[in-house]
Amino acid sequence: MINQRRCRSIGSIFLLSVLTGLLLFSPAVALAVQSQPPVQTEWWVWEIALFVFSFFLGIIAVIAGVGGGVLFVPIVSSFFPFHIDFVRGAGLLVALSGALSAGSPLLKKGLANLKLALSMALIASISSIAGAMVGLAMPENVVQLSLGATILGISVIMLLSKNSAYPEVTEPDTLSKILHIYGIYYDEQLKKDVSWQIHRTPVGILLFVVIGFMAGMFGLGAGWANVPVFNLVLGAPLRVSVATSIFVLSVNDTAAAWVYLHKGAVLPLIAVPSVAGMMLGTKIGARLLTKVHTRVVRKLVITLLAAAGLRALLKGFGI
Amino acid sequence: MKQQLHANRIQLTYATVLSWTSTLGIIFVVAGYLVYVFQLLPSTVSPSEVAMHWHLRAAELHKIVPVPSGWDWIYQLGRGDVLSYASVVYLSSVTMLCLAVIIPLFLKEKDMIYAVMTLLQVLVLVFAAAGIVSGGH
Repeated sequence: MINQRRCRSIGSIFLLSVLTGLLLFSPAVALAVQSQPPVQTEWWVWEIALFVFSFFLGIIAVIAGVGGGVLFVPIVSSFFPFHIDFVRGAGLLVALSGALSAGSPLLKKGLANLKLALSMALIASISSIAGAMVGLAMPENVVQLSLGATILGISVIMLLSKNSAYPEVTEPDTLSKILHIYGIYYDEQLKKDVSWQIHRTPVGILLFVVIGFMAGMFGLGAGWANVPVFNLVLGAPLRVSVATSIFVLSVNDTAAAWVYLHKGAVLPLIAVPSVAGMMLGTKIGARLLTKVHTRVVRKLVITLLAAAGLRALLKGFGI
Repeated sequence: MKQQLHANRIQLTYATVLSWTSTLGIIFVVAGYLVYVFQLLPSTVSPSEVAMHWHLRAAELHKIVPVPSGWDWIYQLGRGDVLSYASVVYLSSVTMLCLAVIIPLFLKEKDMIYAVMTLLQVLVLVFAAAGIVSGGH
């Protein structure tokens, strides 16, 4: 048993080491560090590198239980020669396409709740548009600085947050009663139906406004923030929180993506290999989920994320 | 206990439309990209030309190379880069389509709160897509 655990830990560390090695020693890094236009490298080399990189990112994102979007922007903007405008545009599409492809089964199973999502997404999507407009108007060093600080904050949240599988909500608030936000789903772990209701709805809506703004500004998927708000603030069960977060993400990222499209910050040459690589990697990652030590990978990914955040911060300071 | 699905009719309709439109979107995006990078159709701007400038800010890149943005590509669909861009635009419209489909269903069930809320959500996304609230040109 202990040997098996040790093997899984070693396997997990190996997997992440491969990715980190790929990051640090690839020709992409050497060029990105110089901040020069990549004239000496054929464009298709970057396309393949981006696809392969996104593929590995997709694998570890699933294993670590984090959204691909939040890893994509800080790491790709640090190690590839693309301007952060295009990386943020691609990051939004990575998060959006992941949410679109995952959304249908979650809605069919009743895990994602349409009414809960719509109530939070309406104002959040407007703030997401505002965030995208502010983000694209800010000077590059300010973007890097704020991105670095945000990513470091996300790393801390991910490290410290303790979700609650079945939070207890004794009395739903008035707004959630008016909006008929409650539900029931079949829990495969408990093998029974679980009813749920929520409280603190106005606080939740306000928090989603802030999350939407940040997601639009940095092109990040916002699962890292959506899930704790649904789960810990509103009191929705963890499975409902994760599933509904994906739905909200699809609405908010759509709104922000249009700002990036209008500002010319979406290049299919960067967005499509990222989306395809990430989606393929996510499928492989889901199969590997039981074979690697997820907690070890999660901690290593948080470390990697913190390193990328620190790098963005240093770039912002011109170091 | 046997598993029972608890999604209502509106949620199931949304899920079905989402499943079809998103699958189509992914296929469209990959196909459009392959047409562009393998130069199966003539392009406004070649991939190598874009790659020479992708280290610049979006606004600066657009001053140098006429890559598609917003809706300025609509009359040039026969070009590889435009086709690839159009596929990304389609993917960004999927949520709007799915939401628009469920508005009549909410109305049919006389659920006015969610009919209005969904309508407002679609309007926000339509305004963003039209460039009215998203700084389009």
